[in-house]
Amino acid sequence: MNIIQTKNLTKTYQRFTKEPGLKESIKSLFKREFVTKTAVADFDITVQEGEFIGLIGPNGAGKTTLVKMLTGIIAPTSGEISVVSYYPNHLENDFKKQYAVVMGQKSQLFFELSAADTFLLFKELYHIPEEEFQKNLDYFVKLFGVSEILDVQVRTLSLGERMKMELIVALLHNPKILFLDEPTIGLDAVAQKQIRKFLKEVNETKGTTIILTSHYMEDIKLLCKRCVVINGGVKLYDGDTDTLFQKYQTHKKITISLEQEEYCSLNQEYTLLEELPYKITLLIRKELSQELLKDVLSRYELSDITIEEEDIGNVVERIYDDKSGVPT
Amino acid sequence: MKKYLEIAKIIFKSQLAWRFDIAVNVLFTIVKIIFAYLIWNNIFTDQQVIAGFTFHSMLSYYIINSFLSQLDMSDSVSNEISSKIRGGTFSKYMVIPVNIQGYFIAQSAGSSVFYLIFNFIAAIVWIFIFRIRFAFTAHPLYIIAALFMMLIGLLFMIQLNYFLGLLTLKFQDIGLFLMIKNNILLFITGSMIPLTLLPGIIVEVMRYLPFYYVTYLPSMLLIGRNGDEMLPGIILLSVWSVIFVIINKFTYQRLRVKYDGVGI
Repeated sequence: MNIIQTKNLTKTYQRFTKEPGLKESIKSLFKREFVTKTAVADFDITVQEGEFIGLIGPNGAGKTTLVKMLTGIIAPTSGEISVVSYYPNHLENDFKKQYAVVMGQKSQLFFELSAADTFLLFKELYHIPEEEFQKNLDYFVKLFGVSEILDVQVRTLSLGERMKMELIVALLHNPKILFLDEPTIGLDAVAQKQIRKFLKEVNETKGTTIILTSHYMEDIKLLCKRCVVINGGVKLYDGDTDTLFQKYQTHKKITISLEQEEYCSLNQEYTLLEELPYKITLLIRKELSQELLKDVLSRYELSDITIEEEDIGNVVERIYDDKSGVPT
Repeated sequence: MKKYLEIAKIIFKSQLAWRFDIAVNVLFTIVKIIFAYLIWNNIFTDQQVIAGFTFHSMLSYYIINSFLSQLDMSDSVSNEISSKIRGGTFSKYMVIPVNIQGYFIAQSAGSSVFYLIFNFIAAIVWIFIFRIRFAFTAHPLYIIAALFMMLIGLLFMIQLNYFLGLLTLKFQDIGLFLMIKNNILLFITGSMIPLTLLPGIIVEVMRYLPFYYVTYLPSMLLIGRNGDEMLPGIILLSVWSVIFVIINKFTYQRLRVKYDGVGI
């Protein structure tokens, strides 16, 4: 069953522009000039109930705008949109009970009180029956292992603990869809891992449809079977996550730190990102990375080495080039 | 209805978290009473009665009026809406199943009840310490009318501030509107001086504005004066409230589409 469906969904904004200088400021007092910025353009997407979808793209790609339209926070400029058979921007209370949204910096928690106080408020806001409330609360508290901090003032919680509470608040009423905008941003590796585990469990056991936007490739790779790549408001890719990364995440980012002050001279073909007397950061094709590592280990004395997946920006750029016929 | 009660409750609980705030608030009430005592004591040295007020009835008016003024927590409504719209976090209210105006009414009610309790205790203590012969009316109808008017008055103030807060969606900054509102309020609500001290024509004009009935008239009724204005006051204030219900509904529906959910 389609739980979300959009067709030619478009959102444009009017932005005020002004040349620098006092003269231009005075001129703008009488006559304003605006430019139209398209945040999302002719976007088609269909989401089935129970799916876990990753929305990826660089900053300003249109991911958050899309989520805002799907949750009804902003109205589309044109196109069709249906979420759980509702037109989101009508903002009907019955519609709002069907979903939950967790946006990184927009907290629903009351910082002066304990998270348990906010849970009680949400119980009333969503008319959650006592038995269901208790059952859900017990389930999520156990899953996150947060029973010890339920009565602690929210403002004293760590970022990771706060995000866990934020997720519990969002899920208490058993929403059909959970929209997550950068839920792991700023969290340490342990908290990120816990949140991922939690989301996976919720998706699998409760059948909650989850739409996740994230800059972290790890989030998308580990959680989402399907992912949608968006850039400049346009959908560039919609399909299997593994295929996407196999096809387009072709490079590794390697940082090599040396014991002594010297410059690395490497035989493999790579793109240099940064070079310092002690350190070199480069981008190399995945198939060449093993060879490079062997080479470096045999010839240099290393103090550290890190291997990372390349940034989302490179992947998006590659998809874009691929679609436009530019050779990669 | 229960959800709005829970909103009021959580705001009340939030206020209790700030112990220093509570102490300062009680102190502030005390300081206000001391100042009023000193000023009016000086003014009444040469005269027994000014504009129908004796020293004790003037102090009673002042205590009641400042008590009612402090109950009005609606200022925070416009400020909060404005800062949330400007910061792009207003969406947190849009995604939960509540009427947003109802949310803010409940929020203000939670704050008002909090201040009602603490200011009431402070006022009682200081009336006793200064041995003020409190000129409180014994007329039950006056008391009921004053309380009712006070309630609609607070509701009206929340609606007005909600409206001003929403204007951020159109004007992006509402500092000027708030400044105008605050200055008018300070004067018209009689917080500075009893309105009977002003020229008759000015008071006559003010009678058609809602602010006159928010704290001034309830204060006067509670000290047993202006009984003839009771009924017109309730009607006028109710009409203003209904007008603002309609204005706010229209304004929200019209302006919310301008919200883009990003910081200004």
